[in-house]
Amino acid sequence: MKNNLGKERHAKNAVGILFVVCSIAIFDVAYSARNSPPLSFPLTGRASGQFPSNWIHGSKSAMDNTDPAIQVHAYNEHTYILRENKAINYEGAFMYLFFGNGVAMLIDQGSTSSPALFPLREVVDQIIRGWEEQHNQANTELIVANSHLHGDHYAAWNQFVDRPNTVMVGLTHEEMMAFWKIENYPQQIVTYDLGGRELVVTGTPGHQGSELAIYDGWTDLLYTGDMFYRGRLYLEDWDAWVSSIRKLRSIADRYPVAHLVNNHIEMTRQPGVDYPIGTTWQPNEPPMQMTLDMLDIAVGATNDIGSPGIYIYDDFLIYNQIPWYTTTDP
Amino acid sequence: MHNNLYLLLSNLDHVVIRTAGCRILIWALFACLFAPVTSSAHLLNMTELHLDSTHPTSATLKIKIDLGQSLMTAEEYWNASTSDVQEQSIIIKEIADEIKSGVRLTVDDRSVDFELHAWSLEASSLEAIKNPFSPQMAQLVFDLNSTMPSEGSVEIQIGEQLEVPWPALLRMDHASSPLPISRLLTESERTSRPITFGNYLETPEEELSAKAVLAIQTLVPGLKWIALGFQHIIPKGLDHIVFVLGLFFLSTGVKTLILQVSCFTLAHSLTLGMATFGLVSAPGAIVEPLIAASIICIALDNLYSESLARWRLMMVTLFGLLHGLGFASVLSGLDLPRENFLSSLLLFNIGVEIGQLTVLMMAFVAVGWMRSWSQYTERVARPATISIAGIGTYWLINRITFI
Repeated sequence: MKNNLGKERHAKNAVGILFVVCSIAIFDVAYSARNSPPLSFPLTGRASGQFPSNWIHGSKSAMDNTDPAIQVHAYNEHTYILRENKAINYEGAFMYLFFGNGVAMLIDQGSTSSPALFPLREVVDQIIRGWEEQHNQANTELIVANSHLHGDHYAAWNQFVDRPNTVMVGLTHEEMMAFWKIENYPQQIVTYDLGGRELVVTGTPGHQGSELAIYDGWTDLLYTGDMFYRGRLYLEDWDAWVSSIRKLRSIADRYPVAHLVNNHIEMTRQPGVDYPIGTTWQPNEPPMQMTLDMLDIAVGATNDIGSPGIYIYDDFLIYNQIPWYTTTDP
Repeated sequence: MHNNLYLLLSNLDHVVIRTAGCRILIWALFACLFAPVTSSAHLLNMTELHLDSTHPTSATLKIKIDLGQSLMTAEEYWNASTSDVQEQSIIIKEIADEIKSGVRLTVDDRSVDFELHAWSLEASSLEAIKNPFSPQMAQLVFDLNSTMPSEGSVEIQIGEQLEVPWPALLRMDHASSPLPISRLLTESERTSRPITFGNYLETPEEELSAKAVLAIQTLVPGLKWIALGFQHIIPKGLDHIVFVLGLFFLSTGVKTLILQVSCFTLAHSLTLGMATFGLVSAPGAIVEPLIAASIICIALDNLYSESLARWRLMMVTLFGLLHGLGFASVLSGLDLPRENFLSSLLLFNIGVEIGQLTVLMMAFVAVGWMRSWSQYTERVARPATISIAGIGTYWLINRITFI
């Protein structure tokens, strides 16, 4: 009798313990399922993306323009490219929003300060909210960074200064380098962990003395800012630009590069012909992204050019140390 | 003309105009009426302000501005730049006065005056000054009439009466800060807002609370280590909490409980101390599953023991040694100060004990008062102990599988 009671007690205890283990396990699994697994940004392979067939490129009459102030294009699920409406500012500057786990980085803030004209913060917040919903993320920190220190790339910087959960990198050379932990500009090449997404960052002066190039190992995009794009490459320091463009080539030798992406389009589709400075309608503009062949031509130019002047190539014009107002416009 | 245009446009900024067409229409209308617009390639003619107070006895405010496109006409600027020093000085002083009346610099809410000290005018040609794509910048250097304090708050504001090519980039260098501080002033946001430097705290309330924390820290320097020890039980030490509850639910009286907790405390203090000195160590992959196993053992013993056996005390002591190793791995990441190593370690331990006692007190408040109830063991202690054994089993499986 006592033995039976003992056995019954053992069984009850065992069932009780098993019940608790199973309950916790079910709760744990359910809770884990609620929190999505961390996003993965592997360096092997390539996260593909799409560029639009045509960017919104202004209009004949700026007054009649009905396009949004900022064109938002999702290159892929974690990479957004934004373009300022050329009818608002002829620069038509591109801006980039890279996402990692729990963090987003906005590179550049366009050429217009007014939030009424150019509501960049509102648009970025919308993108972040949508991305959070889509990827089950929350409390994404925003880093507001810059490719270089020219006003047409940080005019709307002020819209973010009082934004919660935001890191403002700053608009001085020292603040920029401190953020990226670059102690030896421009030679040093650093890697930056954007929430599990590895960015390779290095100094590329020539157009401006604080410029950076960023290689995204997940998408294989090489971002070259204002120092290499389809347009007038205004160079204030030729020797620095020579070193920078050669360094971009060495980065492309070391890492697989899918596209070179940048900040402006000023060329037409006609080789060697640019739109006049200040153009607010570019119906015949080429794609923004560039190829390694174009980079090779730029590297070749560093051997050919020996003096200040304007040098015309099919996909870009080199304005070597000449005043900004000098143009090839008819 | 420029002033009117900017005033009208800045007022427009306060109205949220939703469609690009409307925005552009209104802007373009004013632009046509009041042209020329001062935009330039890559906004090169934007205004720059540099407040430099890195020198202990002096401070300067440098303003780089496209005068020929803002406060002067292109012709006036060209004339100024080509005139002799005396005449130039008279013209520039007038401009400097205009800037001084429009730029307000406040330090700790007190207005600070500044005087023109030097200037330079860039002007390659009248055409270049007129061309918005070739900004010809003037630099005016002002000396501040007082030095900057080692800590405080500074604000720069550009008044509505002063129109400069926007935006205006402000850079501030201060002796107390290794990095400069940057701000952007725009037509609609003409102030840098207060920029703090040194150890300055913005509001009196913040200052008061910081002082209170400092005062407590001075009075009880080890408070931080006690708090850290406490936090490693509540809320971070869930497995230790469950273990202590296991001791509590043996349920044979307060004396028995105190005896067990004392053995456990002495034991884990010993291994914690030894591990901190590097005398013993064990990898987490071994210690963590063993801690989970210790919880199962205690719970099973609760289920089948009626009283506190002597071997149970030995078992609790052994488990205490084990839990001490678990704490040690946490403590290694805390970076105890070398100069106060022993006292910090002791205070950390005190914090751990306070945490454990708090758990026991809470258990007493929750169910301890029911101990005299005849059904206490069957209805309270046994289900609780089975739950503890279940939790321990789950952790054991989890830690063996995933560590």
